[in-house]
Amino acid sequence: MSLGLEQLTPCFQGILPSMFFTCSRDGTPNAAFLSHVDYVDATHVALSFQFFNKSRRNIAENPYALVRVIDPDNNQGWALRLKFERSETSGPIFDRMFLRIEAIASYAGLKGIFKLKAADIYLVESVEQVSEEPGRQERWSTSGRRQPDAVFTMKALQELSARMTAADSLDQLLQSILSGIKEYFGFSHSMILLAGEKPNTLVTIASRGYPQGGAGAEVQFGEGIIGMVAEARQPIRISGLVRGMLYAYAAKKRAEERGWRPQEEVRLPGLENPASQLGVPLVVRGELVGVLCIESETPYRFHEEDKNTIALLGASLAIAIQNMQLKEAGDEPAAAGASAPAKSASGKKRQIAYYPREEVVMLDGDYLIRSLPARILWKLLQTHKREGRAEFTNRELRLDKSLGLPDFKDNLETRLLLLRRRLDEKAGDVRIVPIGRGRFALELGCAIELIEKS
Amino acid sequence: MLDKSLTEFLEHRVAIHIGTRDDAMRPNGCRVTGVRVEDQGRHLVAYLPKAATPAVLDDLRSNGQAALSFARPTDDRAVQVKGEFISVRDADASEEAFVLDQWRSLIGELDAIGLAALTSTNTWLMWPCVAVKIRVTAIFSQTPGPEAGAVLS
Repeated sequence: MSLGLEQLTPCFQGILPSMFFTCSRDGTPNAAFLSHVDYVDATHVALSFQFFNKSRRNIAENPYALVRVIDPDNNQGWALRLKFERSETSGPIFDRMFLRIEAIASYAGLKGIFKLKAADIYLVESVEQVSEEPGRQERWSTSGRRQPDAVFTMKALQELSARMTAADSLDQLLQSILSGIKEYFGFSHSMILLAGEKPNTLVTIASRGYPQGGAGAEVQFGEGIIGMVAEARQPIRISGLVRGMLYAYAAKKRAEERGWRPQEEVRLPGLENPASQLGVPLVVRGELVGVLCIESETPYRFHEEDKNTIALLGASLAIAIQNMQLKEAGDEPAAAGASAPAKSASGKKRQIAYYPREEVVMLDGDYLIRSLPARILWKLLQTHKREGRAEFTNRELRLDKSLGLPDFKDNLETRLLLLRRRLDEKAGDVRIVPIGRGRFALELGCAIELIEKS
Repeated sequence: MLDKSLTEFLEHRVAIHIGTRDDAMRPNGCRVTGVRVEDQGRHLVAYLPKAATPAVLDDLRSNGQAALSFARPTDDRAVQVKGEFISVRDADASEEAFVLDQWRSLIGELDAIGLAALTSTNTWLMWPCVAVKIRVTAIFSQTPGPEAGAVLS
């Protein structure tokens, strides 16, 4: 039996709230808002079970329900007559709903309390148009529904691939990916995070479309959509983030009134109010290389088809990034030739302080960078002060035991890129400039005072 | 009984639905354009679009059981009112402005959270209405969270 539920997939994005009607065994009706109705297959939907509420108790007594959803494309209301079949606490349907809810809970500082208990699977017995909620007619002509925007066309994928192939450094590769995503697919806000130095962390290495680049911003696994993507190694698409957050905050407020203390909120590393987010894991042979996150201020910007296509794209990006990391790590340094950049006579003086215990570098009293990139920067500045040298090679850093690089997969080139980005964003006149394969220069546009804090 | 504070909440900026059930215990429901609280909160009049499914009125006439859900989109505060059907009549022209003002206040709420597509291209048939008088029997909090379902009155 085909009910045409596939035609209603936009109704299942969580953009507009759904209404759920049930009835207890003694005949008392109940009407409640639902945060999300998920499409399962042509004859089934899944409802999230997060709290033991009256609707859930009614369903245990009487399996029949009515759910009303609204199509965000044309405002047509639909009434689905349902019969409860089963609850699932594992499997792909549960996992998909779980990840979405966990990502929202993480933003709201609600992990643990705002949690999916089960995905309740209902048979859809009938689908009817809601008579008082007719939609715009232009979307309901003979063609039925509009097709998702064909942004991930073969041509666009080929063009992005060609641009990526032309890149000869990790920096160029990451920039070509993000610029290609904007140019060929039309997504203006995106970022790539790569595996961090500490276990189970990601660090922002490249971004596009944000006033502040955010290089160096860290995300723990499990935090927000990016952390959840990393933890689960599954793509996550959220179309109705605003609605989801409001629902979560309402639950949070009630929980706080009962004395529950919230966790610290995770600051969104991107748009202040994203309405749609898409996170894609970049995985090669089971290893998480990083996460690509695309955001939009438009609700329902990403369709299910987008998620599937960009997940495939993610696999290609992951291989390209990892290959570039391995290539750069194995590169022999180019022969020295360029002269050391001249020191500018701007007259300006800046103070750079290093805190060895915390492994943090501060610039004029403000946080600049920490961990391995901080140790590298301090090493470069000290060498420059002691020897007057401004040119360095990746190899000499790799061989320098005082930097404490891991013996295997040290990701030095990625850390250097992060350091470069961070200096470009925060320092301006203290820069690291590539001057050839495996070789770079420290460029100082001002006088520097170095202070090591105990 | 609906006190002044609850009355204020129910009559402004909320999305309203009414749930009923038939004699086979199958649920029905439809949207409500607005409500008016009467008799010091003992009764309310729910304005149901005439375009809505006749099943809801059939259920009310048959068994009288009703559940009205009120939810404010900007903070998801929600209340459920259980009640029993008393009567139904056509809403008259003098009630139109009061009812549609409520509807417009809901549209303003939806606009505030960026659901402009719904509000700028509204094609829904929220008037004319029938006026369904309901005796209030119980009131519950329905705001999402662990306290959902707590008795308010």
